[in-house]
Amino acid sequence: MGGAGVLAVAREVQIPLLAVLLIGGCAAKARRALGARSIDAGIGPTAMFPFRLQRPAAITIVVSEFALGVGLLVTAGRLGAGEPANAVRVVTALLFLTAAAVLGDLRTRRPDAGCGCFGDVSSTPVGWRTITRAALLGAAAVASLGVPPLRSLGSPDWLGEALAVTAAELALLAALSPEIGEMMVRLGRAEPCELRRVPVAKTLDKLWASASWRRYHRYLITTTPTDVWREGCWRFAVFPGILASRRVEVVFAVYMSGRHAPIRAGVIDIDTPPATSPSSRYSSLTVYRKSAILKNKINISSNGPG
Amino acid sequence: MTSRGSQSHDGQVRRKAHVCAGCADLTDSGPTTRYARRALLRAAVFDSPVFDGHEHEFWAHRPPRAATVVTGVLAEVTPQAIVVSRPDGAQFIALSPSTVTWLGAKVSPSALRAGDRVILRRRMQRLISGGPPAGVPGARDPGARDPAASIAERIWARIGRVAGEIMQVRGRELTVDTGQHGREPERVVIAEASLRHVQVRFPRLTPGYLIDVIGTRRDDGCLLAVTPATAQPPYLAAHPPAPPPAGAYSGGPISGAAVWHEPGDESADLVGVGYAALDPETEGEAADPGDPAHQHEPCARLPYLSLGSAVRVRNECADRAAVLPVTSCSASARQFCDRCVKCGTSPRARVADLTMAAFVELGGNLEDGCFNATLTLAG
Repeated sequence: MGGAGVLAVAREVQIPLLAVLLIGGCAAKARRALGARSIDAGIGPTAMFPFRLQRPAAITIVVSEFALGVGLLVTAGRLGAGEPANAVRVVTALLFLTAAAVLGDLRTRRPDAGCGCFGDVSSTPVGWRTITRAALLGAAAVASLGVPPLRSLGSPDWLGEALAVTAAELALLAALSPEIGEMMVRLGRAEPCELRRVPVAKTLDKLWASASWRRYHRYLITTTPTDVWREGCWRFAVFPGILASRRVEVVFAVYMSGRHAPIRAGVIDIDTPPATSPSSRYSSLTVYRKSAILKNKINISSNGPG
Repeated sequence: MTSRGSQSHDGQVRRKAHVCAGCADLTDSGPTTRYARRALLRAAVFDSPVFDGHEHEFWAHRPPRAATVVTGVLAEVTPQAIVVSRPDGAQFIALSPSTVTWLGAKVSPSALRAGDRVILRRRMQRLISGGPPAGVPGARDPGARDPAASIAERIWARIGRVAGEIMQVRGRELTVDTGQHGREPERVVIAEASLRHVQVRFPRLTPGYLIDVIGTRRDDGCLLAVTPATAQPPYLAAHPPAPPPAGAYSGGPISGAAVWHEPGDESADLVGVGYAALDPETEGEAADPGDPAHQHEPCARLPYLSLGSAVRVRNECADRAAVLPVTSCSASARQFCDRCVKCGTSPRARVADLTMAAFVELGGNLEDGCFNATLTLAG
């Protein structure tokens, strides 16, 4: 078969592949939710919703994935051929393309959040690979539009080409998936980075070699950090600086796993006085009941200076 | 101590074990604000509402305070109310027939004496007439600003706790090393009436083994132990169990027991968590390689955090949760590997060693010693 034949096979292969990925992703999220006893635990995009909507959002994502995965399989054959099949594939494409856009936003607004795409193993911060993967899967769904009903068993040639295309596509997806590395860590019983001792010098070496450092170091007064601390896989280092004649603190967050792990930076203006609105005089410890979605905020008066 | 089935090793002394290197300087009140600032700096990078969208901006100025908890020294006790003297003034707290008072055991509020250190949980109740009763001298009641009064739900007077390795035993008197670097060992006297109860839970009252008891503080600073806080671990303090394999860590919520500790150098009002896995690279001096100090690992796989990190602690028994800062390194969470059975059986691990104010604010009762808890990284 020529190139057109391979392309046709490639388009056909997308349907079961997408279905397996959707159902697999849904199952992994459900497993994580059961383990955490919380439906919204670890599904990255839900972190961007207001607290009250996080649970419905998580449920919507999981149900949608399951429904679309099953729908793709059901409409792959003669049953549902034509308009129903195309409708499911269009919605699938929309799901993945929307996911790519949302992940891009998540990467900016919550750079510490993983995508949660495949449950526990998707805890690495969202990077360009994850976003590209979602966009590619959207394109794969678009490519499957108009594919005729699949045969249950094709000719040996067809099968061979289908397997080759599937293998190539899986290899591409694996290259775009940080989850593979995470699974290798877990399978190899290597320590997750949250549990690993990492010398500060190693973190600083990584920082000094980064683009973030090159961008900000000209504003720094000293290259010796005034504070260094750690939260899980992130290590933070703070440096005093001057920016536009104002004293600032530049804080860098270095992810301590992976060669191309993200490094984030933030700047705080020291000279700007704190907000003096009435609410700033109050400290509040939010104590809430998980069984009730509403939080009961308890505002108390401050306890005086210091 | 009688020799009924227990081993008496009068006068034996254990060399002080060094459990938490670098923990000495972590509870200074000065660094509290500095570490509170870390939450602000973190938010500058991630732009994430760590404390449900509100609290992180004020943490740079002062750590959070509990709303339903009052700590201080009793200034006056009447049948209807107590006055608690605090650094910012006196607080008038009404008593009700349902107020539970603990002073070594459940007692009537009339057993309280002026000068007793107290910690209490209150509830606010709207008054019909508004304002506190007249005739209570020195009272400044914040409730006077709005028509509500503080009513004490539960009062603990002179409550204390000691957890650590037994170093010396002389009859009913023990010397206990709490594992905090630079702190003197604590003196514990087991009340005679409680001796049998304590021995049932702690059969090996001998140097080298662990003890965790709750009681009342005497004027000389010694703890009069009246109740065991847990069951005695079967292992020697120097040989705790190995933690589970690293693969057991899934990144999700960690369940275990939440316990509490006395303020020590911390403010009595401090709301925070003592944590067992502070980053050894940055949260204390590195241990001297030649020092035969015992560096214990906690028996649950906990992610490395730092002072100022925010964790969400949920009281499974009371269905209450809060986001709290890590304010200290917990030696007892490293030494003990026990369960809490307050409501169901928790996994083995002390995931949070709360300050007294945080423990009470989350609905725990101090005399219980623990509640089943789930710990999650916040933000």
